[in-house]
Amino acid sequence: MGLDRHPVERYAVWIKNAVRGDLGMAARGGATINSMVKSRLPNSALLAAVAFLIAVPTSLLAGVLAGIRPDTKLDRILSIGSLLAISIPEFIIGVILMMVFATKLGWFPSSSILLPGETILGTPKILVLPTLTITGALFAYILRMARANVIEVMESNYVRTAILKGLSMRKVVFKHVLPNAMIPTITVIANNVGWMFGGIIVVEFVFAYPGIGSLLIMAIDTRDMRLLQSTALVIAAIYAFANLAADLLYGLLNPRVRVGQ
Amino acid sequence: MNKEPLLKVENLSVTFFTPRGTVTAVREASFEISRGEVLGIVGESGCGKSTTAFAVMGYLPTTAETGGSISFEGKDISSLSKEDLRELRGNRIAMVYQDPTTSLNPSMKVGIQVQEVISEHLNLDQTAIDEKVVELFESVGLADADQMGDRYPHELSGGMQQRVMIAMALACDPDLLIMDEPTTGLDVTTEATILDLVASLKERVNAGILYVTHNLGVIARVADRVAVMYAGQTVEQSNVNDLFASPRHPYTSGLLSCVPKPPGTGEVSSRLKRIPGFVYSSQEANVSSCLFAERCPIADSECTTSVPALEFIGQDSQVRCFHSDKVEPDTWGGVEERISRKDVASPIVLTGNEITHQYGKRRKKYMAFGPDIDLPVRALNKIDFEIPQGKTLGIVGESGSGKSTLARAVVGLIKAQDGLLQLHGNELDKTVENRSNEDKSAIQMVFQNPTASLNPKLKIKKTLIRSLMRFSKLTKQGSEERAAALMEEVGLDPSYLERLPSELSGGEQQRVAIAGAFATNPEIVVADEAVSALDVSVQAQVLSLLEDRQQELGNSYLFITHDLGVVRYVSDDIMVVYAGHIAEYGPSEAVLSSPSHPYTEALLSAAPIPDPSAKPNPLRLEGAVPTMREEFPGCFFASRCPRKLGSVCDTEAPPVQKASANENHVINCHIPVKDLEIIQA
Repeated sequence: MGLDRHPVERYAVWIKNAVRGDLGMAARGGATINSMVKSRLPNSALLAAVAFLIAVPTSLLAGVLAGIRPDTKLDRILSIGSLLAISIPEFIIGVILMMVFATKLGWFPSSSILLPGETILGTPKILVLPTLTITGALFAYILRMARANVIEVMESNYVRTAILKGLSMRKVVFKHVLPNAMIPTITVIANNVGWMFGGIIVVEFVFAYPGIGSLLIMAIDTRDMRLLQSTALVIAAIYAFANLAADLLYGLLNPRVRVGQ
Repeated sequence: MNKEPLLKVENLSVTFFTPRGTVTAVREASFEISRGEVLGIVGESGCGKSTTAFAVMGYLPTTAETGGSISFEGKDISSLSKEDLRELRGNRIAMVYQDPTTSLNPSMKVGIQVQEVISEHLNLDQTAIDEKVVELFESVGLADADQMGDRYPHELSGGMQQRVMIAMALACDPDLLIMDEPTTGLDVTTEATILDLVASLKERVNAGILYVTHNLGVIARVADRVAVMYAGQTVEQSNVNDLFASPRHPYTSGLLSCVPKPPGTGEVSSRLKRIPGFVYSSQEANVSSCLFAERCPIADSECTTSVPALEFIGQDSQVRCFHSDKVEPDTWGGVEERISRKDVASPIVLTGNEITHQYGKRRKKYMAFGPDIDLPVRALNKIDFEIPQGKTLGIVGESGSGKSTLARAVVGLIKAQDGLLQLHGNELDKTVENRSNEDKSAIQMVFQNPTASLNPKLKIKKTLIRSLMRFSKLTKQGSEERAAALMEEVGLDPSYLERLPSELSGGEQQRVAIAGAFATNPEIVVADEAVSALDVSVQAQVLSLLEDRQQELGNSYLFITHDLGVVRYVSDDIMVVYAGHIAEYGPSEAVLSSPSHPYTEALLSAAPIPDPSAKPNPLRLEGAVPTMREEFPGCFFASRCPRKLGSVCDTEAPPVQKASANENHVINCHIPVKDLEIIQA
């Protein structure tokens, strides 16, 4: 472990090995960090993917519906609801969901601990509450973003041009409003992949879900510096890649950003 | 045969109900348009021109309430169902908008945007549609018509974008074409080419055209008949020649006499006439008087107690005035002689030598290696000038020619990379931070947009007192008195000192900005497009104010504008700049009369003249000012020059030539002055 050496030196050695893809040994349990990350990361990715697949299409649809006819009843309900969802932190939503659906109704398990031999796909019930918790905040966030962008585009001069071409409202919305309103929205969503991983840490902890987030918390609990550094590195790398992907996606969608024909 | 007009608008009124109160944008607008006719609607901002245009399209926000009637081929627009209205829009009635850049969908190829109208309204197959799009692009004078459709709006210049918009509007052969300020915001050279296109449409299409603009020169160029709007009312309507020759409404007469005439009409010997006050507010309810009465020089008790109606005063002309027979050329005061400063020799206050500036840095592709990318933009190239005391140097050129950069370099807002600025022969530091308080107070600036350049959170008093205490070394008490005096000098009531900028109109804000500039008793006031954003009646007020200040205080102006009428009115000397180079420099009347640099010639021929009988000069410039990045051995103007000689223009820098008998009149051009004289005659 090299605990006799200077912390800076230990850190340098860790970095040297990390660059080669070796994150070292965990302080307890005798497993390599690589194997721990490897077993946990797919769980987190699955949680994120399911949450994403549910939240993105529904929130976009709701946001567009609210944005096309602002200040209607539907818009008010969605706007106020999303504001609530954004203001309440995940760990409170998680606990509330747990109380209602696990303790009171008993529909889903309150914790997502896997027994030996179990897999997540084999017991999909444990996914439901964590997914719902993440989806709540994500849904609200994307909805507000989509709504604001749709409203802005609806007021633009080129939408006026489209309406005064005599196009039907349907065509105006699908051909002119949505493509332009979705460009910034999709970018925000892509940026949120990284942000969502932050939220996942909390949610995983609340539900004791065996993902990278609870690994990070465990590292803090056990004062395992090396494990902490490693999980932080992995999360940061995912964040960075997500942002890069977002920027590339933006360039793909927006002809004004494309360069070098 | 009883000829039914194509469009008949009768007593139209449009009221918006907003949270901040009721806005009556249009009160009583009445006009007619027949096929093949261009009706111009003219008036200052806030007079309801655009609202009227959109009302004809049936496109108003749901908070709007309309009165009166708009009938298109005998059918009332407001009674149409949504479906019928859609069938009309883009097909029978099409529109061209003020700002083409924002009116085109930025993420859609322009070809598809044009196709859309055709496939919506006409029953054509895809190949026919494709052919028609190319045809349309050709008909509006777009080069590479067959490739144009694949381009995105941001790949086109403003002029090309507007041509695309016009192609789109013509796509279904509309019966009525509405053009809402289609050239406002474009450069004067581009404006001229678009106006040529509109004028040619008149002959080509059998549509009625409703042309909305604030610019009288543009109206004179394109309109057959003109409706003048004031405060939401049509106050006068007649054919264009009669309207310009003998306006019957005092407002029309006032508008015509407060526009500085563009070059070609001799020396400016008389002062501009001014319409006092501001446009009757759209937030006011209707009152039982003539809405123009409070600004009108011939108003009497009848005008303030009863409402004039729009009445026929001839076969084809209508006017809304009790005293239309009393409107004379001197309704707005007789000719006021200007004091000629031409022959007064005066000492030089400010000189600039070889002022040079580049934006950006040279960068290599891979840090310090590889080919150059991002060469710096050469914004100013060895600009020499001098400003005599009490005189005005006008700077003209298209946008992107370096006018504002020069103004900023003089004031010290940017640090010019090279060159020498001297105030009374003493070197001025290049940046304003390093200048002494005396130097700072000697050179002051007035900006284009007064709303953006006054601190919105500070009362007018604070804004003025700040610079007074700093530069004039006055006490608080003293500077308050001086601030009140300054306000009176710029024609504002001292009670305005307690107000915030947002409580003032645009013209009043610009007066405050001028008061601020004069607070330090400057020797030079740099005015960067200081009147461009103002309505013509307010523009005339501000120009007169600047003129009065100069006569009283003897300060000099560096006056930057793109408007040749304005530059001709204010300037003693004129510098014509192009792509950071001086094209021509000399005394005002020498520069504006031939022989002149081909660029000056092109600018002059592009300027719309507020006189319908004027023959437009066919010389035109296409494209926009190039961004000068690379070192170019030839003439800076070679890429667009309509008089290009040949290869010499591409390979050698143009020589400086003396252009006329006047000692100080020079042009930078290869063409011998004698030849220019012959070509331009």
